[in-house]
Amino acid sequence: MSASFTKSTARNIFYGGAVFFFLLFLALTFDTTQALPKRDNRVNLTEQVARGKNIWETRNCIGCHTLLGEGAYFAPELGNVYQRRGPEFIKAWIKGQPTGAPGRRQMPQFHLTDGELDDLVAFLKYSSEINTNNWPPNIEG
Amino acid sequence: MNQSVTLSASANPREVPGDLAMWFFILAELLVFGVFFLAYGYARAHDPATFVAGQRQLALGVPTVNTLLLIAGSASVSAAVRAFVLDRQRTARRLLWLTVALGMGFVVLKCGEFAGKFAAGITLSSDTFWMFYLSLTFFHFLHVILGMVIIGAVAVYARDGRYRPGQLAGVETAAAYWHMVDLVWVVLFALVYVAR
Amino acid sequence: MSTSTTAVLDTPRGVEEHAATRLKYRSQAVAKPYFIAAIGLFFGQIVFGLIMGLQYVIGDFLFPEIPFNVARMVHTNLLIVWLLFGFMGAGYYLIPEESERELHSPKLAIITFWVFLVAGALTIVGYLSVPYATLAKLTHNEILPTMGREFLEQPTITKVGIVLVALSFLYNLSMTVLSGRKTSVSLVMMLGLWGLAIFFLFSFYNPTNLVLDKYFWWYVVHLWVEGVWELIMGAMLAFVLIKVTGVDREVVEKWLYVIIAMTLISGIIGTGHHYYWIGTPGYWQWWGSIFSAIEPIPFFMMTLFSFNMVNRRRREHPNKAAVLWALGTGVMAFLGAGVWGFLHTLAPVNYLTHGTQLTAAHGHMAFYGAYAMVVITMISYTMPKLRGREANSRGAQKLEMVSFWLMTLAMVAITLFLTAAGYVQVSLQRMGTTPMPFMVAQDHAATYYWLREASGVVFFIGLALYIISFFVKGKTDEAAH
Repeated sequence: MSASFTKSTARNIFYGGAVFFFLLFLALTFDTTQALPKRDNRVNLTEQVARGKNIWETRNCIGCHTLLGEGAYFAPELGNVYQRRGPEFIKAWIKGQPTGAPGRRQMPQFHLTDGELDDLVAFLKYSSEINTNNWPPNIEG
Repeated sequence: MNQSVTLSASANPREVPGDLAMWFFILAELLVFGVFFLAYGYARAHDPATFVAGQRQLALGVPTVNTLLLIAGSASVSAAVRAFVLDRQRTARRLLWLTVALGMGFVVLKCGEFAGKFAAGITLSSDTFWMFYLSLTFFHFLHVILGMVIIGAVAVYARDGRYRPGQLAGVETAAAYWHMVDLVWVVLFALVYVAR
Repeated sequence: MSTSTTAVLDTPRGVEEHAATRLKYRSQAVAKPYFIAAIGLFFGQIVFGLIMGLQYVIGDFLFPEIPFNVARMVHTNLLIVWLLFGFMGAGYYLIPEESERELHSPKLAIITFWVFLVAGALTIVGYLSVPYATLAKLTHNEILPTMGREFLEQPTITKVGIVLVALSFLYNLSMTVLSGRKTSVSLVMMLGLWGLAIFFLFSFYNPTNLVLDKYFWWYVVHLWVEGVWELIMGAMLAFVLIKVTGVDREVVEKWLYVIIAMTLISGIIGTGHHYYWIGTPGYWQWWGSIFSAIEPIPFFMMTLFSFNMVNRRRREHPNKAAVLWALGTGVMAFLGAGVWGFLHTLAPVNYLTHGTQLTAAHGHMAFYGAYAMVVITMISYTMPKLRGREANSRGAQKLEMVSFWLMTLAMVAITLFLTAAGYVQVSLQRMGTTPMPFMVAQDHAATYYWLREASGVVFFIGLALYIISFFVKGKTDEAAH
């Protein structure tokens, strides 16, 4: 009862389907880039934020924390830490590491200057103002 | 429209016409559209006001013509398959090109409709109704273009007379895809444009 | 090892192999160091996994020598690199055999191997020996900052090295394919490998705009693991199934096309399930949910495919272990990528589970089930041949199969315990009127983390047995057939 089932048709469908859906994905990507200016808080992308992002990256913060839910799940979400803790707490916390509490998870001491701490906080503030469709569900991240 | 499928040249009535690989593809596409339609229904049930307000702005004339164009395309592609069964090659090829032309009519009218919406500042991010409207119609629009490419390719291949009675898998495969595109449009038309 | 390279393989009924157990093409031998390196790095990955697992419950373990972020970077980067070594070894073995000619340049393949190994080792040493910020400074990250993003932590210079290694590898294989027989298996494999290299180029794009950064980061990560890598996986699995079952190539290849077509139909737009909460427009919640709802289908088809092909086998291949790995890949890829992916892929669920231990649970089983296992399948099938025999001795295979079950069941356990930890985390930290802070919720999941670590130890024992199985001697019992 099996009808014809040829490799060449299967192959054509694979190539056709792949191209079709990739083009569709590019079209949606294009629409996304058009829609982002209203959502991604780019008006607040200052030089200071750029420096802060560089500090974020070169200290590999993503190796323990999540940012907008992406990263490692060892330490708290930082996309909304600016609202949760406020700038002064964040800076004091980073300066005070590691806590050295026995058996507790430890964060390294990064020896950041006051200027660098301000940059990092500016980056976290910018991140916290991105329109994330109301994620995370609550302040605890 | 689906009756044309059973008019295939297959000797065994239990066989599907065309290539099984295409039927996997068709099933996958129907699944995607099916889930999309369910999502539409779910979203509509949660926010009927937005959907009704959006639907009020949709004119029915052009999409009705478009529905007729696609159904006519289905009729002409089935007629093409029948013509191949009778080995009337030239008629069959002309009917395939007629299908492509009817598809082109759909594409032109649809582009006009899209242009109007874009001019009115409607985007995927406008509201949930317009998100579904644009997503579904644009996704389907791409399928019409793919259907035209497939039918056109078969029409070009047919020039060397390769589709003869008993060797119609290729043309049946293409016809099956077109019928799927048509079927999805009928549901989409009913759901998005008509049902208010 | 015999010096003759003209052996007859694929004898229909699995007889006469004792005299015919050598490589079809001598240059396939370059795959061997790649596979050995892959297993070595796999071992390293698991060691660091155990360290991290312990740090989840004994927070200051090995602090400050190996902070968690360093261990994680080593763990994930070793995974990626050993899988790449595995894919490359598979390519060097599979492409000559499919193309029916010697590799374009075996010498280049060996040079590429050493360049990749040394670059990889230096990077790992860099991670472990100096603070990450120092590594960034030493490698002049400021010229083109690409470091410090998940999975793409490598210094920019290492990324350039990866591109060069990939180009050399692709040049070598493409020249071989172009001058030889073109099969569907080799074309799909090449498409996957070229896609891998091309999408990696997005790792050099790191805008200050965090949303754009994240959006295109997924062009590397998602389009790798739920796109082009699946083509590589499908091609490798199809190759091994053709060899061990003797099923007609036409049959295997057309199913391969149908499966990977389904993969890309669902998987490309399925990228949208990462675009729910990172600043991207809300419609991705619909598009992502709809398409990822059908993402399990190709994985399920792959399970059916592997069992179907083995059931329809026309020969009894003496390498039972390879058959077991192939079947295991089909099942575990479906469970890990299909089922555990689906669990939290719909936007309303993901709203609560995004960035929790559930993601970790899915990630572990999917990577093991789809990619680690398919590479081991390939190694299991090819390594005996690379060592001059059709299959390993009965004793060695038995040990290998024990290691299969230990590792696989341990991974199932790890996944279940991480799922439980994720459930605790979601219910305490994400739901309810008085959500707990992160660390308080973590403390509530400690039991599950301990159980996960214990499962990790079992996995480690399984891996150790797997490695030992390479050194078990004994007579190959293929003469018994």
